[in-house]
Amino acid sequence: MFSSTIHVSQLSKTYFVPEREAGLKAALKSLVRPKMREVKAVDHVSFDIAPGEVVGFLGPNGAGKTTTLKMLSGLLYPTDGEARVLGYIPSKRERAFLQQITLVMGNRNQLNWDLPALDSFELNRAVYNLPRAEFQRARDEFIELLELKDLVHKPVRNLSLGERMKVEIVGALLHRPQVLFLDEPTIGLDVTMQKRIRAFIAEYNQRTGATVLLTSHYMADVEALCKRVIVIHHGQILYDGDLSGLVERFSAYKTIGVTLDDAMIDLSAYGEVMGREGGRVTLRVPKAETSRITAQLLAGLAVDDLTVEDPPIEDVIERVFAQGASGEAVR
Amino acid sequence: MRAMLDLYWNCIRMAILDRLQYRVAEYFYMIGMIAEPVIYLVVWGTVARSQGGSVAGYTAGDFTAYYIVWTLVRVMNIVLTPYAWEWRIRQGQLTGELMRPVHPVHFDLGFFIGWKFVAILLWLPMAAILILAFRPTLNPTPLDVAAFAVALWGGFLVRFFLQWALGMVTFWTTRVSAFFELYVTIELLFSGRLVPLALLPDWAQQVAGFLPFKWAFGYPIEVLIGQLSPQAIFAGLGMQAFWILVGVLVVAGVWRFALRRFTSVGN
Amino acid sequence: MHIFKLAWVHFRIGVLNEVQYRISFFVQLFQSGLGLVTGLFGLALVFSHTNALGGWSRPELLVVMGVHILMGGLIRAMIQPNMERLMGDVQQGTLDYALTKPADSQVLISVREIRIWQTVDIVMGLIVLLVAVVQLKAGIGIWQALAFAAALLMGGLMIYSFWLMITTGAFWVVRIDNVLSLFEGLYQAGRWPIGIYPDWLKTSLTFLVPIAFAVTLPAEALTGRLTEPTTLLGAAALTALLLAVSRWVWRRGLKQYSGASA
Repeated sequence: MFSSTIHVSQLSKTYFVPEREAGLKAALKSLVRPKMREVKAVDHVSFDIAPGEVVGFLGPNGAGKTTTLKMLSGLLYPTDGEARVLGYIPSKRERAFLQQITLVMGNRNQLNWDLPALDSFELNRAVYNLPRAEFQRARDEFIELLELKDLVHKPVRNLSLGERMKVEIVGALLHRPQVLFLDEPTIGLDVTMQKRIRAFIAEYNQRTGATVLLTSHYMADVEALCKRVIVIHHGQILYDGDLSGLVERFSAYKTIGVTLDDAMIDLSAYGEVMGREGGRVTLRVPKAETSRITAQLLAGLAVDDLTVEDPPIEDVIERVFAQGASGEAVR
Repeated sequence: MRAMLDLYWNCIRMAILDRLQYRVAEYFYMIGMIAEPVIYLVVWGTVARSQGGSVAGYTAGDFTAYYIVWTLVRVMNIVLTPYAWEWRIRQGQLTGELMRPVHPVHFDLGFFIGWKFVAILLWLPMAAILILAFRPTLNPTPLDVAAFAVALWGGFLVRFFLQWALGMVTFWTTRVSAFFELYVTIELLFSGRLVPLALLPDWAQQVAGFLPFKWAFGYPIEVLIGQLSPQAIFAGLGMQAFWILVGVLVVAGVWRFALRRFTSVGN
Repeated sequence: MHIFKLAWVHFRIGVLNEVQYRISFFVQLFQSGLGLVTGLFGLALVFSHTNALGGWSRPELLVVMGVHILMGGLIRAMIQPNMERLMGDVQQGTLDYALTKPADSQVLISVREIRIWQTVDIVMGLIVLLVAVVQLKAGIGIWQALAFAAALLMGGLMIYSFWLMITTGAFWVVRIDNVLSLFEGLYQAGRWPIGIYPDWLKTSLTFLVPIAFAVTLPAEALTGRLTEPTTLLGAAALTALLLAVSRWVWRRGLKQYSGASA
């Protein structure tokens, strides 16, 4: 029996890519004898996800997030290692497996372009063989949650990008899957729409206890939805744990925001000056020195306001990736 | 199974709704398409007239009938090409389709069946114009008409499964056009598409008998224009069934390998 | 002249671009070969049942086929790619790049694309013509050859003008891809001398879509059927007219485009 919904052990995916240099001669040569380069898209990755967890998969482009997701949804055959979702081996693509999962990719359309979404929902009902009453209940529930009442009657091509994403998600959830694989679901959307979709996913997770694995390079997605993050870079896991722990672990700095009476004072003696806005100066100081420098500031200057914050998570992540690139991968 | 019929019904319904929106584009395509048989019709009509009225048993009026019926058979047997497969794979469409717990062939088949209904509807006025313009000689018996209705769909299924199977070649090569153009050329010459099979030299007619193409093209046409005896008609229907079965078996057999290939390489 | 310099530059880039794909050349050769085989097969079939078609003998029909392939190659190598790109640019709003360059826009959009491997068809057409001419009992004189070259040039220019006018329609109607498939179908009619078609079709193929001028006229020139110079003069007049009209349509289209772009 597998207690975790998603179990991944030493999962790997290696590609062989032809290497070609610029120029006519090289192009002709490569036709005769192509040079192959081994690319480890996913390199011996392991993790377990429990039922009902919402996990964020963070990483820059090309890190291996989408590849991992595809292996877990059965679209890619792993080169090495093992993956199990709901007890099934994804690459076997068993019908019972496919009935319980769903894959939503930002920027990709699965609904019929020229017809109203309602028609495509009806098709999905037939595809997943859903009893009509259940289907209608789920459909109407989602339509209400996402305020889609009028939109579902319009041809999908006439909807805006955000509206399209909403109906796509509804279409993907009609069969009430137990596991959701979401690949950059909010990409290209405006802030309001992003919030809407995040709220919906959270709601779905609450109501159904479904497990959600979400990839994104928007920190806001992860911050809003995921308690747990897995950071992946160059196909390897750099961090797997709480979001707050991420900052703790990787950030060697804290940010002090100081508002002074006299805005022109040079604070570079206290720490690295990050920015100056009106009367407020942002300083970056080593974590260990935080209390000392704070005390100094309060003692030595006329301070109106002082805050101590963690650096923005984006900065932390950037550093994590930078570290990973130089080979100092932290596990 | 009820679920399957339900699925097919939904695909058919969606296809009809969808394709009716594109009827203008469809018409343009059809007009371009009938240029081909009209040209053949005129050429062979000219030849027949110069040879004292008929060639290989076909009068000018017979040729006209042959090529007009050709247009309906052609409309019915247009199916997916490997290029459509290439597009699907490259656009990532296939990924979405693979997530469904149903074999993709069902969606295609359902969609095409729906599309054919729309196509037949759009074809009718065009046929009327062709008949008025060219005056074919056409006197089918009731048996001919009934058998034709069956053979028409039979021809569609033959070609559908064969080209679906061929489409899977795209999983292994990006240069599928070479295969396909060769396939289409052979089909053109040996199916009854270029000329009625009776006009081909004997060796070519024998070759055509072994290939599946005539059952999607020449045979249905010949049924309606009254060229075949009842025995030949039923034998032909049997051959259609045979080739459909072959197509289905190839699709069922090769799909597993195609999928394996797709999932190891990705898109 | 500036046009030729532009054309040459684009040609060079086009060649460099496509030479990378050596496979494309063989694929094209293969496809053209298939087309040729089909054509010859059809011709052989016709002549297995008769000796002449509408007054044209076998080598004469081979001439028609040769011109058809040659002209088809020219269209697919130089005219079609540019028109398809123009269609795409109008649909996606990327025509602006072409319009902000310091060159006459019509010239630019007409010469910037070239499908080098389609020239295989041009070569193939010439070879077929050569074979056909050798078989012609009458042989050909210098005037016929000149008339042929002139007819070919005029036919090409007429097809170009026709395509330009239709494609410029995209400025108003935006989606005209279907016209492409229409043309392809109608062009097939040029495989045979248009004399065999019923009158209404003949007229369409002459004045609606100038395929008669593109294929039958050069073939008639080469096979010595053009006994009166008035035919060629008429063709020249029509060519000039079409070029002028298409330019006018182009300018109107541009006005429409700049008004419409958001």
